[in-house]
Amino acid sequence: MSDRPVPGTFISRIVVCGGGLAAHLAAAALARQLPRSIQVVWVKCRDPRDTDLFYGGVVGPTAYSFNLLAGVSEPRLILGTDTAFSWGTRFDDWGENHRSWVQCFHLPFPVVGGVLYHQHLLRLGVGELEPLLLPAAAARRGVFAHPPENGSGPLSRAEYGYQFNPYTYREPFAAAATSSGAQLIAADISEVECREGRIAALRLADGQSVTGDLFVDCTGVDARLLTPLGVRAPEGRRLKAALSHHPGGKLGPPCRTLMARDFGWQSETSLQSGRARLTAYAPESEAPALAAHGATPSHHAEVVIGRRDVAWAGNCVALGHAAGVLEPLTHAPLLILQREIERLLTLIPVSPDMSVERREFNRQGAADHRHAENFHRALFETQSPFDTAYWLAARAQPLHEMLAVKLTQFASRGLLVAFDLEPFNAEEWTIQHFGMGRRAARYDRLADQQPMAEARAAFQNTEREIEKLVTSMPSHSEYLANLIRYLKQKQW
Amino acid sequence: MPDQIRNGPIESVCVLGGGTAGWMTAAALSHKFKGQAVSIRLIESDEIGTVGVGEATLPHIRNFNSALRIGEPELMKATEATLKLGIEFCDWGRIGDRYIHPFGDFGSELNGVPFHQFWLRLRELGDSTRLDEYSLGIMLAEMGRFTSPATDPSRLESTFRYAYQFDATRYARFLRRYSEANGVVRTEGKVVEVRRNADNAFVESVRLDRGDSIAADLFVDCSGFRGLLIEKELATGYEDWTQWLPCNRAVAIPCETRGPLMPFTRATARKAGWQWRIPLQHRVGNGHVYCSDFISDDEATEFLLANLEGPPLAAPNKLHFKTGRRRLFWNKNVVAIGLSAGFLEPLESTSIHLIQDGITELIQLFPDRGFAQSDADEYNRRMGLNFERVRDFLLLHYVANQRDDSPMWLHFQNLKLPDSLQEKLEAWLARGLIIKYEFGVFLPPSWIAVLLGQNLVPRGHDPRADAVPADLLAKNVAALRRDVLAAAQKAPDHAAYIRQVGAASETAPMVAPPSTIVDRPTA
Repeated sequence: MSDRPVPGTFISRIVVCGGGLAAHLAAAALARQLPRSIQVVWVKCRDPRDTDLFYGGVVGPTAYSFNLLAGVSEPRLILGTDTAFSWGTRFDDWGENHRSWVQCFHLPFPVVGGVLYHQHLLRLGVGELEPLLLPAAAARRGVFAHPPENGSGPLSRAEYGYQFNPYTYREPFAAAATSSGAQLIAADISEVECREGRIAALRLADGQSVTGDLFVDCTGVDARLLTPLGVRAPEGRRLKAALSHHPGGKLGPPCRTLMARDFGWQSETSLQSGRARLTAYAPESEAPALAAHGATPSHHAEVVIGRRDVAWAGNCVALGHAAGVLEPLTHAPLLILQREIERLLTLIPVSPDMSVERREFNRQGAADHRHAENFHRALFETQSPFDTAYWLAARAQPLHEMLAVKLTQFASRGLLVAFDLEPFNAEEWTIQHFGMGRRAARYDRLADQQPMAEARAAFQNTEREIEKLVTSMPSHSEYLANLIRYLKQKQW
Repeated sequence: MPDQIRNGPIESVCVLGGGTAGWMTAAALSHKFKGQAVSIRLIESDEIGTVGVGEATLPHIRNFNSALRIGEPELMKATEATLKLGIEFCDWGRIGDRYIHPFGDFGSELNGVPFHQFWLRLRELGDSTRLDEYSLGIMLAEMGRFTSPATDPSRLESTFRYAYQFDATRYARFLRRYSEANGVVRTEGKVVEVRRNADNAFVESVRLDRGDSIAADLFVDCSGFRGLLIEKELATGYEDWTQWLPCNRAVAIPCETRGPLMPFTRATARKAGWQWRIPLQHRVGNGHVYCSDFISDDEATEFLLANLEGPPLAAPNKLHFKTGRRRLFWNKNVVAIGLSAGFLEPLESTSIHLIQDGITELIQLFPDRGFAQSDADEYNRRMGLNFERVRDFLLLHYVANQRDDSPMWLHFQNLKLPDSLQEKLEAWLARGLIIKYEFGVFLPPSWIAVLLGQNLVPRGHDPRADAVPADLLAKNVAALRRDVLAAAQKAPDHAAYIRQVGAASETAPMVAPPSTIVDRPTA
């Protein structure tokens, strides 16, 4: 027994590096969740390239509990940033049939007579799922209310996330990190000292040297810590994006809109302080994209969409864009970052060897990224009306075997194939299938056990109920204004 | 839906074989398709015995029964069933060891950190309590008590689940009555010829020894090891897993019960395999699973007979098998369910469970007469994963231990494991981490029970468990331990419970009041 390290006490210092969203979230979560015996040092440096606009502007329902874990409550987020509520993303003018649908968040759909909800729709030949989903209907109408925790009715089955500005959303996390005991060092990194495949120390611009047992690289796409360890940058499709902020005006809908354009796509996100416009495009189409963007971008960057072969090498683990970048088509970018941080929390090394933690982190991270890319890739399984660089490149990405199975099975019999621990759930896939106008050749015959008229009437009832409910809900701006007034009174 | 109309629904299903798999399949299909124009026929021969060794089940069987609206007392009475809280493993880690793999949790997680991590930390600080003391399922089992779990997830009494130990032959008979009442037509006979379509080689009909011919759109092959359709006819092929699980024979024999009626199955490791003990209301089922490379059939039988607790009630029943799975579970219009699909030794009571999985997936992927290849592909993918994940869990028992007292155990010490299992073991040993999956029957508590039960104690624990001050943690777990103990002590004796809920079989002499059991001589 004497030759083994004292368990649980191997790590005494974790060094988080980076100045962007990933570093903020990671520092706060680690400082809050780890025991005091582990010191979290946050080297808040300037990232060589700012790519935080690629986190998009929407995060899903998981943000609520993640943020609490990091020490940031919803009231703090609402009062401290210009974050607003979100039912999801509305795709507009998408694909060959110019589809429009709200890719919303939702709790599991009901199972009727032992048959999955969407199978009844397939049977009835109903192509539109949206009128049956409260968040989608509420998104179109621009209304919002918190789903009751223990209620019944369509609102209680809805789920919400947030619309955020990646450059302000992070602020409460900085405060949470320090109040949870993270030691903040504001300095740039001048050198990464590596020895035998590990980081020995970071030399900072102010002359300090920072040592640690584990280094968390949140320095963005350049991965300043991971790169010196010999980990290559990902290869893949290049994408550019421009972000601008348009202050003022009444708060818009609790739903991001994302419209297909010849150069790529453009999204509008309503925030407390105004609207954010994000334009994503292939580098070849810069001129028309920027012309369409209109305003001068406040942030502008180019990235490679993809993930490094490994995110954890030696004693260095990369999070966020240092590990990989997803296209901000959905809420995936921040969802995947949250999951990376949660995964790291479960894998804080217990010995200098770290091989188990490294392997597991890399395996799960690669799987997560793959699943998210599959969800995105599926959005391009349509004939685009555009024959431009962005659409050609997006469609040229190979269909992964898992995605092929999902698409084949839905087309064959409306079957939702799931793999272990996917980040996107069955409801999100169903919504995408219907949204994209995918049809199934067959439906579950057990649905036939319910009389056709009864099934149709049940759906019509739900639709009416949702319509009625949505009409009675307050507008997003009204709801948020009241909430803020209430929270201020309560002095959160 | 043009395809749907063109292909049309399946109108006839023929289930070949009337063992547990056959009648479970017939019962489930007849219930699911009640009121639809699907005729279901089952062919069996009284001359061909059923294997019926799968007497112990997993909690999922309750979902199967309740979906069929079968009442528990009725079922228990008819099948001489007892309640099962888990499996007791004897002599697996080292000779003399024993532990229970429960259906249920150990404590509850705190801030996302699994309970066993806190336990590991306390252990390192010198605490000597067993993890078992935080499992209500185990405490109930050890005391020979039983109560129905609570449905409110916030209650301690909701932290365990249960299954049955029953007479599988009676279960099949029970489901036969159920199926026939639902319109399933049973035909007595042996298949002597299989007719196939000249174009697509699908099975069209089977001819029986009495001359009649039975045609169907879909054939479910529940003919046991022989795989009459899936193998003998379609030559689907078999993936041999003997390299990992070399046991290839079993001898089974029932005996009279001695001692109190315990709510668990027992699996005792032996020199060349292991022995099961399954307590039913009217008898005890026993068996010796072994590898013929390491022991002769006669020795294996003698050994079993010498290790029975009471007089035998029948002649020994000998079985030969090859561990593995059919290359395709669904081939053309034939779906293999039960032993025809594959065989994994019943160390964790998975035989009936894999039947249930096969039926559930078949219903989910139920074909049309067009037989889309994609339906079969997905079925094969899902069932392949189910089999593989059970295989890894079974293998865990053989490799996660310290036995070296016989050639069989030495064989396992030098075995190269499947990567999936090797990585799981390493993650556990390093830090008590269970690598999770979503699809597969055994959840993390099962892995924890076996790993710790077989003396694989992790070198470290999750550092997050250190976030709670040690004295506070010790106080909290002591309170939990007391609560678990109190809840277990409140529960009635297992046999008393069976009588209380009206599930005692009238033919069951062995469900005697505890007072008379005390006086009973032991074997």
